[in-house]
Amino acid sequence: MSVTDAPETVVIVGAGQAGAVAARTLRRRGHGGPIVLIGDEKHRPYQRPPLSKEYLSGEQERDECFLLDEKWCVDNNVDVRIGTAVDRIDPGSRAVELVDGSRVQADSVLLTTGARARRIPGVEGERVIYLRTLDDCDQLRAHLVPGQRIITVGGGFIGSEVASAGRAAGADVVVLEALDVPLERVLGAQMGQVCARIQRSGGVDLMTGHAVEAVEERPDKVIVRTQQGVTVEGDVVVIGIGTIANTEVAQRSGIAVEGGVLVDEYCRTDMSQVFAAGDVTSHWHPLFGQRLRVEHFDNANKQAMCAAKNIVGRATVFDDPHWFWSDQFGVNLQYSGHAPQWTDLVVRGDVDSGCFTAFYLDDGVVRAALSVDRGEDVFGSKELIAHQARPDPAALRDEDTELVDLAAG
Amino acid sequence: MAGWVKVADLSEIKRRRRMAVQVGDQEIALFLVGEKVYALRDICIHKQRNLSKGTVFNGKVVCPGHQWTFDLETGYECDQDEYQPTYDVKVEDGGVHVVPVSRTLSDAPASAG
Repeated sequence: MSVTDAPETVVIVGAGQAGAVAARTLRRRGHGGPIVLIGDEKHRPYQRPPLSKEYLSGEQERDECFLLDEKWCVDNNVDVRIGTAVDRIDPGSRAVELVDGSRVQADSVLLTTGARARRIPGVEGERVIYLRTLDDCDQLRAHLVPGQRIITVGGGFIGSEVASAGRAAGADVVVLEALDVPLERVLGAQMGQVCARIQRSGGVDLMTGHAVEAVEERPDKVIVRTQQGVTVEGDVVVIGIGTIANTEVAQRSGIAVEGGVLVDEYCRTDMSQVFAAGDVTSHWHPLFGQRLRVEHFDNANKQAMCAAKNIVGRATVFDDPHWFWSDQFGVNLQYSGHAPQWTDLVVRGDVDSGCFTAFYLDDGVVRAALSVDRGEDVFGSKELIAHQARPDPAALRDEDTELVDLAAG
Repeated sequence: MAGWVKVADLSEIKRRRRMAVQVGDQEIALFLVGEKVYALRDICIHKQRNLSKGTVFNGKVVCPGHQWTFDLETGYECDQDEYQPTYDVKVEDGGVHVVPVSRTLSDAPASAG
């Protein structure tokens, strides 16, 4: 394990999940020099998954959302500067220039500026919530009471998790999904239907094939009109239609960006000693042979750890198979891999029982897997994906065969 | 001070190489790797899933809930820097015995920072 003993300063731009994990990993991997963690939110670093799950539902306290406790930062010389906006990185000196005109000297920079919620032009208001930040969640929590009527735009993971929390709180929930099947692009029609069924079984009024045309706010309600001419009224509308990478700092610095900050498998941007990790990156992925931009919590963690290792001089390839989960309506969903297209869907277990794993094979190679209440299959699925395995589909279906045994070779 | 309690015959655990047992209010997951048995608290410190339903690989058990990966010996999860409680366990006369008082090794020397 290499340890850098020169007192080099690492400046991390973006104090979210990836930034916080990078700071922690830098110290664990022996980086001795100063670490400055700069974020433009007014909160210290916190986790986002609870904002659509445990914190939203009230099962978890607010302070459990936060990362990097203050004492640890003081003891470990990590300077956390919140409420601070960065303008750009000076290409010549690599100094990080703040919007207020001051500069932070840096030997290495890590961009972890994350992503922001995609917004519908013109759709804003007191009763319109784009769920991304702790403040958005606090605003939404007030509506999670019996008798409230919550409309979610988007039947993806944000929409369905908010729907789940809403139902658990006794609220009425309508989910407006533009596609005919929720999550059809990522999971395909058959598995998307499984997700639709999960939502409906939870008491959600899921309206598919309904894109939003307009949102009108009144003092006592919000009215959503769909492109199909249907009108839905509610107390609040929560919009979860994807994210946009916060690439502006990179762009202002002249760093290559396309949909996300471009990084190689070592988390390097095209500017020397400038790295990036997490939601903001469009990363070259050696396992899938293409660039990916993902919004998974696990990616923020794993890629940040990898970037930190590369910063301390320990060359590490980021080739994690990718994984995310969703807990909704009492069901645990876990997805690993990446399958932009597939030729076969092979099911282990039984779809109708609600307990199964669906493998997405592309020309025989396992590219992704969706486990519904079968988390015990996930480790093996990730091994199959990481090894680009070509198992016999019959073996995948055979519950007496261990998935990990199919992975190697 | 609690003593050893026999919780299973080694032959029972050999078939599936894992077993969930209960001693009083202690829910314990037993794992057999080679000839050695490990004992951890069955309920995951994260979101309370059952480790006994997880995958065992390379000296670790992976919780099926959210893939937290615990060292079988120490209970340590290196990405989270947290410990799953573990139990003293021994195999004697073909039986698996535990001391049904869990310990959390969080005071053990760990990596810096």
